[in-house]
Amino acid sequence: MTDPRTIRIVIVDDHHMFRTGVRAELTSLSATPRNGAFTLEIAGEAGAVESAVQVIKEQQPDVVLLDVHLPGGDGHGGADVIRACTAVQSQAGVPVRFLALSVSDAAEDVIAVIRAGARGYVTKTINAEELLTAIGRVADGDAVFSPRLAGFVLDAFGAAAGEVAEIDEELDRLSAREREVMRLIARGYQYKEVAKELFISVKTVETHVSSVLRKLQLSSRHELTAWAMGRRLL
Amino acid sequence: MGEYGTVQTAYENGTGPARPTGPPEAPGASWRTTPRPPLVRQREGKVIAGVAKGLADHLGIPVVAVRVALVLTSIPFGAGLAVYVFLWATMREVGTVDPAAPTDPLSPVSTPTSSTGSTTSTTSTTAGTGSSSVRHHVDLASLRTWLRSGNQAVLITLLGVAALAVAGALWLGSAGLDVHAEVILPVVAIVIGAIFFWSQLDDTDTLGARRPVRWIWLVVGLGLTILGLVGLLVRGTNLTELWQVAGAVLAALVGVAVLSAPWILRLWSNLRVEQAARIRATERADIAAHLHDSVLQTLALIQRQSGDAATVARLARAQERQLRSYLYDEDARAGTLGAALTAAMGEVEDLHGVPVQLVVTGDRPMDEHLDALVKAVREATWNAVRHASPPVSTYVEVGPDAVEAFVRDHGAGFDLDTVPDDRAGVRESIIGRMERHGGTARIRRRTDGTEVELRLPVRQPVEPEQPSAATPPADPRSQPTPGSTPDPQTQEQAS
Repeated sequence: MTDPRTIRIVIVDDHHMFRTGVRAELTSLSATPRNGAFTLEIAGEAGAVESAVQVIKEQQPDVVLLDVHLPGGDGHGGADVIRACTAVQSQAGVPVRFLALSVSDAAEDVIAVIRAGARGYVTKTINAEELLTAIGRVADGDAVFSPRLAGFVLDAFGAAAGEVAEIDEELDRLSAREREVMRLIARGYQYKEVAKELFISVKTVETHVSSVLRKLQLSSRHELTAWAMGRRLL
Repeated sequence: MGEYGTVQTAYENGTGPARPTGPPEAPGASWRTTPRPPLVRQREGKVIAGVAKGLADHLGIPVVAVRVALVLTSIPFGAGLAVYVFLWATMREVGTVDPAAPTDPLSPVSTPTSSTGSTTSTTSTTAGTGSSSVRHHVDLASLRTWLRSGNQAVLITLLGVAALAVAGALWLGSAGLDVHAEVILPVVAIVIGAIFFWSQLDDTDTLGARRPVRWIWLVVGLGLTILGLVGLLVRGTNLTELWQVAGAVLAALVGVAVLSAPWILRLWSNLRVEQAARIRATERADIAAHLHDSVLQTLALIQRQSGDAATVARLARAQERQLRSYLYDEDARAGTLGAALTAAMGEVEDLHGVPVQLVVTGDRPMDEHLDALVKAVREATWNAVRHASPPVSTYVEVGPDAVEAFVRDHGAGFDLDTVPDDRAGVRESIIGRMERHGGTARIRRRTDGTEVELRLPVRQPVEPEQPSAATPPADPRSQPTPGSTPDPQTQEQAS
């Protein structure tokens, strides 16, 4: 984030009112100068699975704000969009990143889009500034975890019950450091606050979170697979 | 027509039609407070089709009396049986009806017999109905268990059919006709079989709660009926021909079955589709009712108070929470720490209109110590929403040997030393409370907010050999012992 750059986004949500609201908030916030800022260009909008896939393929955005529940497709909403767009690259030549945005905190919804390939999950009650930060983070290829998602991860990996991975590469459990990071995020800490608390750099925090995201996507832990199976994702 | 006879008598005895305009006599008033149950067939406590049971409930007399009367009145010309069949055909069947609870007033209109029932209910006046129905209710409970325990349904049915057979024989005999045992016996067998068979058919009606079919009764009924039919057909022929006839009957049955199978299957699948549609409609009606009661009311409130942003936010947040718990079925978690925390945070949100982000990992059933923890968390959150600025986050982690809670805000924070002594909130409600229950509390000031950390050791529910189990949480202590509060920082803060 050295020089100002432009992040092109597509908003996918079946509620027109919500799209308009997000667009207005992001536009006004993006116009005000901030440090380490990027400008935001809203390249398109869509309200259903098919139209979303079409818009994303046409526009090749950097980030897609994706609602979890969408009409159309195979009935899996946002997860269908992600799967249909796996090969699509942004104009910069990197894969299109997806940031899931939903009113739902239900585990099935979260796990479905994350396992389909979303880089992050935030609830719609997030404020515009945090949303902007999340968009920037996802555009950089990092992961965005809401406190609720972090809590869910701790639950799903048995970390709350004290299970810790012996080696970092283990897919079915979190390492001690990842667990610490997740706990702090669940407690409402921003990434930079996590970094300060653990005496590590923000980049390291981002690495840990991305690693957790990878585990979340690839792990065959029973709880995760059960949810995924329930949604016919496997 | 024994049963109708008594009803008629009551009518002609004519305490008169007890209309609302009638004289407000004491007995009249007493029975009107406990209205007669409508004349419907009862699923519960029935033997054949529930006619006798329904009749007994409606008339407020013991069901055994009705049954005996039906059996006895079957002897002259099968009158009781005629009444039974007529009522069976016309009475509506319902599930369990609590005789104490007044049923819906619309039901008597649905069938003609029921409307007859409503007429009789308004015309007969009995002084002791109220008390007798109570006694009757008690009798029913024991009767039902008794009914379910044995197969005396078989007995009653057999008695009924035997009475019929005797009646038929007498009637035929008096008419000067010969009574052939080889005719009577197959007919009796057919009737018994049909009763068994149909009584099960009645249970498996298309809608509503379905009882499991007692297959043995179906088989017995079918067997008896077929035996009876064959017996009738082969009357007067010898045994060798019997096999031929039996083969012919079997062939005919198989033919009919093969021909009608696709048709029956289609009927069945249509029925299933219709059933599913009806269940969906019911669900939709439920959801609609819920939305109307909650969401629409809230939206109306929001429109009326649209000028007051704080109230609107509070209403929206409360509604969101309620809807979430409805959608994700959080009632299932009742009695756990998670549910208690959700409720406590909801309360704080409602009181102050500031959203609280609550995350709980793990869960365990509530006890008095966890209750104290919830109260402390609530107090800390309450402080946060009042004195600090949002976002307020509450994170509770249920670990194997301790429950940890963190309440974080983004306000200017407060210093415990500068808090005046009369403000007992933090010192008593949070730190003191935690220590009384063997836990610890720590308040951390950060550059951009305050974080309250609470820790409560808990007993491992599955592994009692955990070291934390050495500190029994069931021990209500007024003073913290050094062993139970391992965090020296808390000691400092508290003192």
